[in-house]
Amino acid sequence: MELKKTSLYHEHIQLKAKMAPFAGFDMPLQYSSVKEEVFAVRRNCGMFDVSHMGEFFVTGKDALKFVDNFMTNDFINAGPNKAVYSPICRENGTVVDDHISYKINDQKILICVNASNMEKDWNWLSKNVGKFDCKLENKSDDYSLIALQGPKSDAILKKIHLLPAGDFPYYSVKESERNNYKYIISKTGYTGEDGVEIFCSHDLAKILWKEFLQEGVVPCGLASRDVLRLEVCFPLYGHELNDEVTPLDSALKWTVKMDKTNFIGKNALANYNPRYNLVKLSIEKGIPRAGYSILDSNNNNIGVVTSGGYSPILEKGIALAHIEKDKFPKNKIFKIQIRDKMYDTEYHLKPFVVGGHK
Amino acid sequence: MAHEIKPNLKYTDDHEWALLEGDVLTFGITDFAQSSLGDIVFVEFPEIGSMLEKGNPCGVIESIKSVNDLFSPASGEVLEVNENVSDSPENINHNAFGSWLVKVKITNKSEFDQLMSANEYKIHCEKIS
Repeated sequence: MELKKTSLYHEHIQLKAKMAPFAGFDMPLQYSSVKEEVFAVRRNCGMFDVSHMGEFFVTGKDALKFVDNFMTNDFINAGPNKAVYSPICRENGTVVDDHISYKINDQKILICVNASNMEKDWNWLSKNVGKFDCKLENKSDDYSLIALQGPKSDAILKKIHLLPAGDFPYYSVKESERNNYKYIISKTGYTGEDGVEIFCSHDLAKILWKEFLQEGVVPCGLASRDVLRLEVCFPLYGHELNDEVTPLDSALKWTVKMDKTNFIGKNALANYNPRYNLVKLSIEKGIPRAGYSILDSNNNNIGVVTSGGYSPILEKGIALAHIEKDKFPKNKIFKIQIRDKMYDTEYHLKPFVVGGHK
Repeated sequence: MAHEIKPNLKYTDDHEWALLEGDVLTFGITDFAQSSLGDIVFVEFPEIGSMLEKGNPCGVIESIKSVNDLFSPASGEVLEVNENVSDSPENINHNAFGSWLVKVKITNKSEFDQLMSANEYKIHCEKIS
């Protein structure tokens, strides 16, 4: 099957990005160096073409009710112009996807989902929209998405007149317009840093990409995006989350609001006994990778690395791992097996890196 | 992008360079290899004194995104490994030909003679890039 191209494909080729297939798209994996891209986002400003992600719109009288019903987190009580991160569960509590819904207004909501799950999400939400008085549309092909991330992003947005007027805190969203181009801008991202995501037409995306380059923004690929999200311990579907586990298996209890009247999966999750603890581990030398085994101090196999890699900020190996709950060691000693060697780990209670988001 | 190839060295299909002095073979990875791997962050060496067989995996080089085997260009006993590279793997990115990895006392010189010349390696790289 031929890979799809985003509206910024030619910009990536011009910048000599290393391209790789991802969720049916030919996407930039890295431009210069993954390390430099990570540092750019943590210290200055980087940008990502994430146009492969899915954009669904819900409009109409029951829009809020529909969205609140399919997500485990609380959307009804979120303020106006707020964005909410949430898993989307089945009746049995397993995770269809994780996503962000954006309350543009009470009758217009943007749902942004993982590219790799878009079809599954579309089928699931279409199946559940029937009893609500609202319209669900897939506009993924009409939208490009650029994430501008890093401590200097606000200043750059201000300079080129993209920052909406007034208060614009973390996890808020606004519809805006510049030179007759409409766009949706939100204070969200996948790096833990201050920054925005801009949902816009393909034409505007090409214009903004060039303007950001001129402002010295560093283009960043999917490889650095993965490192950045792992450093701040954001889950990734297919790793920490999948069709077999519930949000309660992956440290997402904070997104499951049992005091809501109802949501899909509520009954199952109310009685669910989690199978896993998600732990954060680092090692001084050696790189943990997804799939590697976790052992206790007696060398019993007790879990598996869900995401692993190298943190350029900490200069060491970092990992998220599922530990089987009934094998969780009281002494909190975890070892990672890399090939035929066991490596001692440091057990972290907080994310490896604290992002600078406000 | 053109990658550096040193005329005085021999090369393997797996993008390693090799230098023979007496019966001691020194090898590392090429500029082409470091460039395709990207940021190198970890190197695992064979044990000193262990016996390597030509073409078999004898260590690991990890970049941020990938885990890659290191192959021995010839059979023999490991004499020395470059601990400086172990402490600063990024040196391979900065200077691949200056960052030797392993020294091996080889048992069969013809295995070295069979390796590619700089010219042959250049053609090998052009074919795949």
